[in-house]
Amino acid sequence: MAILECKQLYFSYPEEPKETLSELSLSIQEGEFLVLAGPSGCGKSTLLQLLKKEIHPFGSLTGDIFYQGKALEDYPPAQLTKDIGLVFQDPENQIVMDEVLQELVLGLENMGVGVAEMRRRVAELVHFFGLEPLLHAKTETLSGGQKQLLNLASVLLLRPQVLLLDEPTAQLDPIAAKELIQIVYRLNQEFGLTIVLVEHRLEEVFPLADRVILMKQGRIHCEGSPREVIDQVWESGNPELITYLPSIARLYLELDPSKEQIPLTVKECKAWAEKTLKPMSPNQGTNEQYPEVLLEIKEAFYQYSRQTPWILEDLSLQIYKGDHLAILGGNGAGKSTLLKLLAGLLSPQKGKVLFGKQNIKKLKKSELYQKIGYLPQDPMLFFVRETVEQELIASAEQSGQADPKKAVHEITSQLGLSNVLNRHPHDCSGGERQKAALACLLLNQPEVLLLDEPTKGLDPVSKQQLAFLLQELHAQGITLVIVSHDVEFAAQYASRCALLFDGGIASHGTPQDMFAGNVFYTTAVSRAVRNVLPTMITCEEVLAHCRAVRSIS
Amino acid sequence: MTRGLHGFHPFTSWLYFIGLFLLSMLLLHPIYLATMLLGIVLLICMQGQTSVLRSYLKSYLWIGLFILVLNPLLSHRGQHILFYLFDQPITLESIWYGITMMLSLWCILLVFISYNHVITAGKFLLLFCRLFPKTALLCLMAVRFVPLLKRRLSEIHSVQKTRGIDPTEGPLWKRVRDGMLLLQVLLTMSLEEAIQTADSMKARGYGLFEQRSSYVPYRFKRADYLFLTLTLAALFCCIGGWILGHGQLTFYPGLEGIVLTTSEVPYYFSLLLYLLLAIFIEGREGFGHSRM
Repeated sequence: MAILECKQLYFSYPEEPKETLSELSLSIQEGEFLVLAGPSGCGKSTLLQLLKKEIHPFGSLTGDIFYQGKALEDYPPAQLTKDIGLVFQDPENQIVMDEVLQELVLGLENMGVGVAEMRRRVAELVHFFGLEPLLHAKTETLSGGQKQLLNLASVLLLRPQVLLLDEPTAQLDPIAAKELIQIVYRLNQEFGLTIVLVEHRLEEVFPLADRVILMKQGRIHCEGSPREVIDQVWESGNPELITYLPSIARLYLELDPSKEQIPLTVKECKAWAEKTLKPMSPNQGTNEQYPEVLLEIKEAFYQYSRQTPWILEDLSLQIYKGDHLAILGGNGAGKSTLLKLLAGLLSPQKGKVLFGKQNIKKLKKSELYQKIGYLPQDPMLFFVRETVEQELIASAEQSGQADPKKAVHEITSQLGLSNVLNRHPHDCSGGERQKAALACLLLNQPEVLLLDEPTKGLDPVSKQQLAFLLQELHAQGITLVIVSHDVEFAAQYASRCALLFDGGIASHGTPQDMFAGNVFYTTAVSRAVRNVLPTMITCEEVLAHCRAVRSIS
Repeated sequence: MTRGLHGFHPFTSWLYFIGLFLLSMLLLHPIYLATMLLGIVLLICMQGQTSVLRSYLKSYLWIGLFILVLNPLLSHRGQHILFYLFDQPITLESIWYGITMMLSLWCILLVFISYNHVITAGKFLLLFCRLFPKTALLCLMAVRFVPLLKRRLSEIHSVQKTRGIDPTEGPLWKRVRDGMLLLQVLLTMSLEEAIQTADSMKARGYGLFEQRSSYVPYRFKRADYLFLTLTLAALFCCIGGWILGHGQLTFYPGLEGIVLTTSEVPYYFSLLLYLLLAIFIEGREGFGHSRM
């Protein structure tokens, strides 16, 4: 029996001419692991909020939503609160209490559950999640992954029948994201809990999902088992949707028209690759030579306060003119700190930062900030004005452009921002905010752009657009430094990578050098083809190689 | 886990702090206030909150000194003119009044350190959610936001610096304008997030039921009754004395003698009792551990 069912849903937000959801019918079976995906603004989050009655968005809704055969309105509110649980995207904002245990039991206390019952539920769940060591910790001291785990646990204590998750991993690093997805999968497998997961990182969830639904403009674009959806998307040839396919699936589909067994995991792809691909002996990659050092950090030490440990210790790194450097590293390795040091926002306790052989401390601040553009992890920190246009004009005036209006016009048409000019930055999607902030930086005509996690929380389409934009800027001669968790992104687009570990640069080199040499910290394609094509790390490289082989034979 | 004031029912410890706040505001007498300040500092140390105290120390010192200096400059009441500053008389009385206000403010600020340590968010909800569910939620979120806002503001500042918006540089009018801009960003961002926090509480059924339960089974125990009776007796005694005019110094027009008179001594001792009760409760835990 369908546990949740939507019939002919139409929904539109006030003052929005276009419907956010239209003609949407959907039934979710009990015990199903359903993944909802689609570009930002396609209505998947709205759909999730409609399924959770307490937080229905304002707007006009027609159509019916049934839970276990009965319309949502006919239920007493208490039952729905218990039965349908929701985990939100941002790990921070969901937490209310200051102690982990207090946060866990908040829902139970709200529902008036008795003390004995509460203790039992907490005891067994804490055991399942392994949260014992954190039980009395302050919530503000937890990492993002731990916070999201806490949010999940707190919802589960109400013993829901359906668990809704709204991009729960968007703000997490890849390791924490994997852990969270695995726990959700376990809940589905071990307890038969019905899961509805909205997610962008499909590589992780394709092997686990029972059914995938791709949404587009408020409608269901295609649905089916993960393999069916991959096949349908591939057949449709829609370049936007193809960005949703995992790289290993794309590699397979490009090379194997039979489509007998589309690989969902590296293991499956590896078996296929070793049968199909022609091996190649490893050859030496050509090392690009950069003549000129543009930005350099020398033997730097940094700590936030005397009591805290050193974040960076004796770190040296050179950034060349025309570089496209990706700085990778685990959580808390100091990547963002390093970027702030390079931007001159922080200064090292020991060591120095040089911009074109000059210590940046001695440069005039306004000149420094103009030449080195810094984009923070959360682009919202960047905006102070009412509309994107005002934001851009202010930047143009600040940089002393002769004709601010004209400069703004040029940059908006280059970045494709014309349709959001009159919007408040808060009303833009993640990708649009990212672009608007970039546009502001570009108006300064910087020599270097420092970007902190620019791909965080972006859907694959926006991510690809960002990648193309960055490549374009790179071609125009702007030096790029990106801090990222995103191994695939770095492998595909960066020209150099550096791995930050234990306060210093553990290794650096071309993406090929770095990822082909790694076994664990590398791309999915590299893991799949490493026995046959040991130097290849991206789908594109393998495809180019195969084309070359074919043209020879 | 339940030690010292933590061990009591939330209502007991909450009432104790309300008493402390009340006394800090009512007893405008340098000797009483100095005693209270000492007592509160001792309490904070006993609770192991010295590091928190240290982190606030500098700003609190400045606020106090500011009041101390400002009062004699603005108020020229009083009979004993000590000297003239820019043709303005500086009186002995206004200096003493400044000292008293400084001590009173310090007491209130320091009581907050101890209060935050003892009255956790959970206890606060337990006390007030049934009476004022919406207000309790609002207070809770406001308190939670303070450290968050502090961190966020410094982030915004460091990013906006690169865009020429920096309240620490430039002429005064620019600083003020930039400062307002930063606060505006802070506010918009935080409101956005507060909505999400409220959603997450609603999603977990906050305010759905009249009868909320509590994970920690707080019960009124014998110790609660005992502590409550003793502290309330001491508190009423102090307030009674205050009504009779003890524990408030007459500053204007002429300064009363600062030294305590014999008739004041019982009231002073009841204040001491009020302070020592909590210090004893917290201290007992410490000694109990060191003996083991």
